[in-house]
Amino acid sequence: MIQFEQVSKVYQHNGSDLRAVDQVDLTVHKGEIFGVIGFSGAGKSTLIRLVNLLERPTEGRVLVNGEDLTQLSKPDLRQVRKRIGMIFQHFNLLESKTVHHNVAFPLSLSGTPKKEIDQRVAEILEFVGLSDKAKQYPEELSGGQKQRVGIARALATSPEILLCDEATSALDPETTKSILKLLRKVRDEYGITILMITHEMNVVREVCDRIAVMESGRVIEKGSIFDLFSNPQHPTTQNFVRTVMENDIPASILDGIEKRGSARNIYRVTFVDESAGEPVLSQVAKKFDVEVNVLFGQITELQGVPFGHLVVELQGPDQEILRVINHIQQRVSVQEVTSHAG
Amino acid sequence: MQVNLMDFWPRIWEATYQTLLMVGISLAAATLIGLPLGIILVVTRQGGLLENKTLFRAFSSVVNFFRSIPFIILLVAILPFTRLIVGSSIGTAAAVVPLVIFSAPYIARLVESSLLEVKPGVIEAAEAMGATPWQIIRRVYIPEALSSIVLNLTIATIGLVGASAMAGFVGGGGLGDLAISYGYQRFETDIMIATVLLLVLIVQITQTIGNFTSKKIRRQ
Repeated sequence: MIQFEQVSKVYQHNGSDLRAVDQVDLTVHKGEIFGVIGFSGAGKSTLIRLVNLLERPTEGRVLVNGEDLTQLSKPDLRQVRKRIGMIFQHFNLLESKTVHHNVAFPLSLSGTPKKEIDQRVAEILEFVGLSDKAKQYPEELSGGQKQRVGIARALATSPEILLCDEATSALDPETTKSILKLLRKVRDEYGITILMITHEMNVVREVCDRIAVMESGRVIEKGSIFDLFSNPQHPTTQNFVRTVMENDIPASILDGIEKRGSARNIYRVTFVDESAGEPVLSQVAKKFDVEVNVLFGQITELQGVPFGHLVVELQGPDQEILRVINHIQQRVSVQEVTSHAG
Repeated sequence: MQVNLMDFWPRIWEATYQTLLMVGISLAAATLIGLPLGIILVVTRQGGLLENKTLFRAFSSVVNFFRSIPFIILLVAILPFTRLIVGSSIGTAAAVVPLVIFSAPYIARLVESSLLEVKPGVIEAAEAMGATPWQIIRRVYIPEALSSIVLNLTIATIGLVGASAMAGFVGGGGLGDLAISYGYQRFETDIMIATVLLLVLIVQITQTIGNFTSKKIRRQ
C-alpha cells in the first residue's frame, strides 16, 4: 500500500546538509496499522509527510498503491490527496466553523452536492460518536472530541490510507486509549491502512501490528510488536521498551537485599507466550527445597499474547538452587541478576 | 468670544459629513488594495503557499516605502498624481487619493499580521485534503482570520480619521480642518471643543462597532 524505497529527505541548513530522513526502506501493507516510533527529531514527522508529498523526497521513491506521486501533476496530486486522510497532534480544525462544517470541508472542496455532504457528515459523526456535537465549535470541545472531529474529517472522503501525526500526543492517557480504540475501529470496519508516528511506546503497543524504530533519520529496527518488545536489538529500541516495561529492579528493592547481605541468587525469569500461563514458580516451591521470593515483576499482553518477567530471589542450599534453575530453564528463560545490573 | 448659532451647527454638520465621506471612501478603496496585498505578502513569503522570493521582496519594499513617508508630506508630494486621478488637486475628493495611498500599505501589513495568526497546521491540513491555493486563501485563511482582520481594519479606520484632519491642507474640509481654521486660527473655542468631542465620538463608535462585529464573526 505504501512503499518507501531508499527514501531520503535532505534539508540545506546553514550551508550543510541535514538528512532528516536517511535511506529508508519500509513497506506498509494494506489494512495494517503500522507505527513509526522515535524520539523527537528522529525524522518521523518528515517521513509521514513524504507519503502525501507535503514534503518531497530528495532521493528515492515513495509509492502509494504502486504509484509514484512525485510524477503526478499538481491537480492529479490533489485528487490523490483526497484518498489519503491525515490527522494531527494539534487537530488543526477550522476554529471559525462548526463541527459539521469542519467535517464537510474536504467534501465541499470537491464540490459535492449539499444533500450528499449532509448525509455523509451525519454518518461519519455517528461513527466517531459525536452526532450531538455537530453544531458546536471546536473551541467548545475537549481534546479527545477535537481529535474525533479530526478523524471524522479525515474519513469524510472515504480514503484508503489514514496518516496519524502524533495523533494522541496532546491527549491524556484515558483519552488516548479511546482514540486508539477508534482508530482500530477505523481499520476494522473500513479496512483503511493506517500509518502512525509517535514517540509513545504504549500507543504502538496498543494498536500497531508492526512497527519501525527511527533514529537520526534512519530506520534502525522493524518488526512485529511482539518481536520488538520481547527481543529488542538496538539500544534505542530497548530504551523505548523500557518506557512501558520496567526492566530494572527498583533501587528500593536492591537496597533492601543489600542490607540483608544476600545480594545473590537473584534471577530474572522471562515468560513468553504460553509459559506465562504456567505455575512454574509455585511448582518449584513445592518440588524443591527452596523458598521463592518474588521481588519484582511485570506481565503484560502484546497483541493478545502474554509477555513478562519476574525477578525472584531463591533461598536455599546452593545445589538445590542449581537444580531449580536447570528445571525451570526448560520452560522459561532464566538469567542471573547481579546487584549492579538490572 | 461669541457664538454664531446660525453658522455653528451647519458648519459642524458639513465638516462631519466631509470627514465621514473621506474616511469611508478611503477605507473602502484602501481595503480593496490592502487586502490582496496582505494576502500576497503572506502566500509569497518563505514557506508560504505560493512561495516566491522576488515577488515577496518587491511587494514588501513597496509597502515599506509608502509606509515610511509622513502623511503630510505624502499629501503634497503626490499632488500631480492626485490631479491625474480626480482631475483636481483640491477638495474632499482630492484628499481621498493621498489617504488611500497612505492607508493601503498600512492595511496590507495589518492583514498580513492577521493572516499570519492562522496556525500553519490548519493550512497544512487543508493542503493534505487536496485544497487548491485559491481554496485555501478563500476558505481557510480569510474566514479563519476574519475576526482579527475586522479588528485591524478598525485600527486603520481610526488612523484614517486622524489623517483626514490634515486634509485641510488640500481644501478637503472635515472636522480637523474646521478645528484648525476656525477653532485655532480664529480662536472660536466652542468650535474647537465641538469638533474634538465629535472626533472622540466617531472614534468611540468606530471601535465599538469593530469590537462587536469581530466578536460576532468569530461565531457566525
